Amino acid sequence: MKTERNSPPQTNGTIEFHLPKFNNFVLDNGLEVFFVQKNNLPLVQLNMLVNAGSKFDPINKSGLAYLTSLLIDEGAGEFNSLQLDDEFESLGSIFGVSTDNDNIHLSLLTLKENLSRSLELFSLVYQSPNFTEHDFIREQKKLASTIIQHQDDPSYIATSNFDNIIFDGTNYKNPIIGNVGDVNSISNYDITEFYKKHFTPLNTKLVVVGNIELKELNVLLNKHFNSTNRNKIEEQNDIIPITQKQQFYFIHKENAAQSEIRIGHLSDKRNETDYFAKVIANSILGGQFSSRLNLNLREDKGFTYGINSAFSYSKNAGHFEIATSVNGKDTGEAIAEINKEITGLKSEIKKDEIEFTKSYLVKRFPAMFETYSQIAHHLSTMLKYKLSEDYFDNYIEKIIACSMDEIEKIAKEKIISDELIYLIVGEREMVLPQLKKITDLKIVELDVNGKVINQ
Amino acid sequence: MNDILNIKYEKHILENGLEVVLYQDKSLPIVSVNLWYKVGSANETNGKTGFAHLFEHMMFQGSMNVPKEKHFKFIEEAGGNLNGSTSFDGTNYYETVPANSLELALWLESDRMGFLLEALTQDKLDNQKDVVMNERRQRYDNQPYGLSWEIIFSNLFPENHPYHWPTIGWMKDIEKFELNDVRSFFKTYYSPNNASLVIGGDIEYASTLELVKKYFDEIPTGEPIPKISIPKAELTENKKIIHQDNVQLSKLYLTWETAKLYDTDDATLDVLSDILTGSKNGRLFKSLVFDKQIAQDISTFQYSANLTGMFIVIATAKPGVDLEVLKTEILLELKKVMDDGITEKELKRSINTVKSSFIYTLQNLNSIVNQINNYNTNLGEPNSLNYDLGRFQKLNSKEIKDVANKYLSNNFVELQIVPKENNNEN
Repeated sequence: MKTERNSPPQTNGTIEFHLPKFNNFVLDNGLEVFFVQKNNLPLVQLNMLVNAGSKFDPINKSGLAYLTSLLIDEGAGEFNSLQLDDEFESLGSIFGVSTDNDNIHLSLLTLKENLSRSLELFSLVYQSPNFTEHDFIREQKKLASTIIQHQDDPSYIATSNFDNIIFDGTNYKNPIIGNVGDVNSISNYDITEFYKKHFTPLNTKLVVVGNIELKELNVLLNKHFNSTNRNKIEEQNDIIPITQKQQFYFIHKENAAQSEIRIGHLSDKRNETDYFAKVIANSILGGQFSSRLNLNLREDKGFTYGINSAFSYSKNAGHFEIATSVNGKDTGEAIAEINKEITGLKSEIKKDEIEFTKSYLVKRFPAMFETYSQIAHHLSTMLKYKLSEDYFDNYIEKIIACSMDEIEKIAKEKIISDELIYLIVGEREMVLPQLKKITDLKIVELDVNGKVINQ
Repeated sequence: MNDILNIKYEKHILENGLEVVLYQDKSLPIVSVNLWYKVGSANETNGKTGFAHLFEHMMFQGSMNVPKEKHFKFIEEAGGNLNGSTSFDGTNYYETVPANSLELALWLESDRMGFLLEALTQDKLDNQKDVVMNERRQRYDNQPYGLSWEIIFSNLFPENHPYHWPTIGWMKDIEKFELNDVRSFFKTYYSPNNASLVIGGDIEYASTLELVKKYFDEIPTGEPIPKISIPKAELTENKKIIHQDNVQLSKLYLTWETAKLYDTDDATLDVLSDILTGSKNGRLFKSLVFDKQIAQDISTFQYSANLTGMFIVIATAKPGVDLEVLKTEILLELKKVMDDGITEKELKRSINTVKSSFIYTLQNLNSIVNQINNYNTNLGEPNSLNYDLGRFQKLNSKEIKDVANKYLSNNFVELQIVPKENNNEN
């Protein structure tokens, strides 16, 4: 008997999923802890958010937060840099540091059997970093070279310059890793002062997901995290999007094999009222593989390996951005197609597109809580954006509740054609004539560091 | 501890030759489907490079009962995620979906295994050739140092060696592919007897096997798969290549041919690599990056595949540092390992790192199912996590020293990627 294959099989049964529940408690020194017990493997994951991201870099000292994050685990307590690394490695524990605009994140993944020792080391890094002059000079030089290396990467040139333009006049303007001149002017004193000001219990939140009882965790954390510094830095002001004028920017890259394209503008910071309507409208435009942009520019025209769009958020700001890289000779046509899709989204969104996207977002929900680090990530997101504690409990309901009107309103009002900033990094001779065909605006030419060169 | 690495499974071989492995894990209501075809860029020939990968793209273009664009759409609508990947030796396709959509995934996979050509068109091929050429531009041609791998492969292996070209293929070959290439490749390699299917997650064994049979049983067995011939050729002297690129810092790559995947020396070389650059205390890292500060970064890999393997050292020079200085220091540190061996402490640190990483892998269903398929395909035994970890745990320090001597004293390929001359602007 031949198998019936004409139409897709129906789903079989319903999905039962229980959202992991979290608890929160405060350590004796005021540090807040958010905890999910998860017992399927003998693991513990920690994510620590320190209110110390690059938005706190002083003027002319871009890169200060990032360089602090590079130095924080270069020796702590009685251990020098190499000894400390050896201690973590011998346990097979993975300790990591990363920095974004808002926070420095310290993270740890460890086997349960090594938790106590790993926490002890983690707390040394957090509370007693050595910050020796010797380590400082080495890491400072290394960072200066890293920045030079990044300048060879067309994708980085595009992204960093795009941020530089749309966040002009705000403290989200500079690259997290800083500018070379600024980094060279930072001293080890700057690092220790920055550290003292930011790395305090009241500026820190800790997320723990692991195979451990709450009581045991509470005792362990109180034992190791005992700094009593009461310093608390002030929150920064939110960035209110201002009306901008549509503008084209171009950066020449010798022999570029493709053109990197960034298109977008500032938008509101994340909130719980229109967040999901934005997610749905954007998914339809460019937020998933089967989006209008990807199906057109990749699956129909073959201009690119991929294209995506997003409403992205920092703690105090938001922006809308379309990003892709296309074959140089197709640059103008690709931008014209992107414009067409933006206009198209504003004029019509179909009901089945909305249903498709809702289905995608709702049904993938359980898989968002698979690994220890995924759960820790979602909790961290909740903390970072100060989302309500029942945010994930109501997640599915809120998606389903988004109406066609709300989604259309986002497309019409939150993606603003007249205010789009276009940035292209590519081969001048090939690309500029194409750009002149699609816009009458003056095309501002920049160098890789964002300096205007054609005025 | 090693008990949680003991994978319980059922294995069946369908009459058409398809190997099926089922693995139950009910911790979340999701299922991962992983279908591995034993064909990769090593099955290609000169003039037709990159085809296994381009073909992977064609597998997402719909099949007899699945219209173009719908393959992705069906999975996304079900709340799943999906992708494929191509290497020297294999091509795999995988999707993770809510447990109640398992049948959808099997319907899609079986439709393209059995009935791909019915939906093949010139437009689809032309479109995906453009996409893949843009993939090549984005991931290799427009990346700083992006051509390093293909330069190394094509110099380390002779022209008729299956690993002479990169998986993405040469641009001039990608441009030329025709519909007939797709047809003959499909008929030669995409048959159930050349594939291994692993389904893991929230499943019941009996009903899942029934579903697999429903969709895959009627796909006919293919012809036996053509064998790959491997020329036996060793480098007769050291080779040095200097390549100019749009970069500001110079980079050095040293590559030796070594042991293949799961060879007795494979894990030993992994540990050697970890001891050299796996941490700040890694010999090469400590010497070049930390102490002497002549390198911006340094890394090493034992990159092993089915036919052979290679050991690669990659170092970026600090501004103003000559690559010859880097090379001398690297060879000096390697010589120390070859002459004096390593310490017990270094070995223990490395083994502990490996052990933890095995446990960490268990967190993600897609990773574990892919690993099970790797074991089933390459070792014939899906439950091999403990065997795999054991390869590392049984090593002693003398074996690390011996393996360094066995391979790193042979001839090697040296690639220097240096800034373009007269390159005053970016």
